Amino acid sequence: MSGTIQVHDVSKKFRLERNRPSSLKEATLRIGKKSDADDFWVLRDINLDIPKGSFFGLIGHNGSGKSTLLRLMAGIHRATTGTIESEGRLSALLELGSGFHPDLTGRENVYLNGAMLGLSRKHMAESMDTIIEFSGIGEFIDEPVKIYSSGMYVRLGFAVAVNVDPEILLVDEVIAVGDEEFQRRCMGRMNQLRERGTTIVLVSHNAQLMADLCDRIGWLDHGRLIAVGEPDEVIGQYLDHVNTKGDNTLTTRD
Amino acid sequence: MFTLSPSVRKSASLIYHFAERESKARYKRSLLGWFWSFMNPLTTVVVYGFVFGVVYGAVAPTTDNGNAENFGIYLFTGLIVWSVFTGVVNGSMGWLIGVSELRKKIYFPTETALLGGAAANAVQTMLEAVVLIMIMIVLANISWTLIFLFLALVQAMLFGLGIGFIASVFNARYRDVQYLIGILLNVSFFLVPIVYTPDLLQKPGVPAAARILVEWNPPALFVEIARDAMYFLEVPQWNRLLAASAWAIVTFSTGWVYFRDQSMAISEEP
Repeated sequence: MSGTIQVHDVSKKFRLERNRPSSLKEATLRIGKKSDADDFWVLRDINLDIPKGSFFGLIGHNGSGKSTLLRLMAGIHRATTGTIESEGRLSALLELGSGFHPDLTGRENVYLNGAMLGLSRKHMAESMDTIIEFSGIGEFIDEPVKIYSSGMYVRLGFAVAVNVDPEILLVDEVIAVGDEEFQRRCMGRMNQLRERGTTIVLVSHNAQLMADLCDRIGWLDHGRLIAVGEPDEVIGQYLDHVNTKGDNTLTTRD
Repeated sequence: MFTLSPSVRKSASLIYHFAERESKARYKRSLLGWFWSFMNPLTTVVVYGFVFGVVYGAVAPTTDNGNAENFGIYLFTGLIVWSVFTGVVNGSMGWLIGVSELRKKIYFPTETALLGGAAANAVQTMLEAVVLIMIMIVLANISWTLIFLFLALVQAMLFGLGIGFIASVFNARYRDVQYLIGILLNVSFFLVPIVYTPDLLQKPGVPAAARILVEWNPPALFVEIARDAMYFLEVPQWNRLLAASAWAIVTFSTGWVYFRDQSMAISEEP
């Protein structure tokens, strides 16, 4: 069904190559020798079913694999094993300057993003005013995005992501970069989208925000999905875990 | 009514975008813009014609009507085809690198960047072909066989893209590849009878292997087809057409399959 995300037994391995050859010469010299590559499993056996119209949150420590999971959902990386099925127009705001080409102007980037999402130029031209208005970029829309401040980047990125009628919206921590007023507008807009039936996946470290917005929360720890369930419950478990870990570090230091 | 599937339509608009960007970048900050696209091939004809035809005294092969027997024109006919091939091979590597940062942040079919760049090159080539056709019309050396010029250009384009698909993936990992390819192309330039006529190889002392290599390597086949079409005004030999088409299709398909398989890894390159 359109708007669902199904994650089946997904694992993701990155190659850690400490002495990765950076030239053909080095690579050739190394043929036949054992590789220094270490496999690093960022995600292990993830199973997740995100139904249409739900607001799903992902929490976990830095490096727990949240962003990687989001990227797999967005189709940026390919899962090493397992499958991810997401149906429907997928719009993602994953990191600063998400999908913007620095040399193009804001306006050109909006069209480019539209093309990447399969939207016609005409459609984007119609949404252009809304996007400019929402982002509050003003006349900077016709300047190359490389001169934008980080706040402007995120505001334009978010404005595009939410104004392309997404059926699935993936949002990484980024909105934290915007100011208070913009953040509030983002929340409002995400709620609106949810009411329209958009499936949203949000990654954040802000436990309060997650509890307010999400229907369900998944907790990732070292690449494994430890718990999935009611926001209060999972956040409680997560915070307990963080606290005990904090206590442990304090005790071991003693 | 014929309708395009959404994924094809999506790719088409991305290809258009990349083609537009490549074309704009080419004459960015220039006043005369596309005028240079005509000037380049024109000066090439004149300069090469002078250097090889006058200074070195190379003699252009005789034709039935004798109207266009000029070494510069003979050479230009071959050079058009050669530059499509090298333009796409060299371009591919840059086009992929150019979108690799973007691809790390948003999903889109990466091959659209290469196809878009190739489309921009195709437009450039069309302008060069127009220059050639106009020259031939002025010299009254033109026939319906000119359709084979376009066939040769398409073959050279497909062959170049096939190699470009593979080279660009390697180059994304090791930047040495672009230099290596540059050298290989420089060497191969002389394996294609562009600045010399193939009958030079009929001289005694030239090993048969060299003759076969120069006669049957894919870019040489494309060049000879274009020559037959525009210079000699003959229908190219069927075995040449067949071999050239086979090279083009097989190389393109192989490159395409390889690229589709490998392009997901681009987003994971550091």
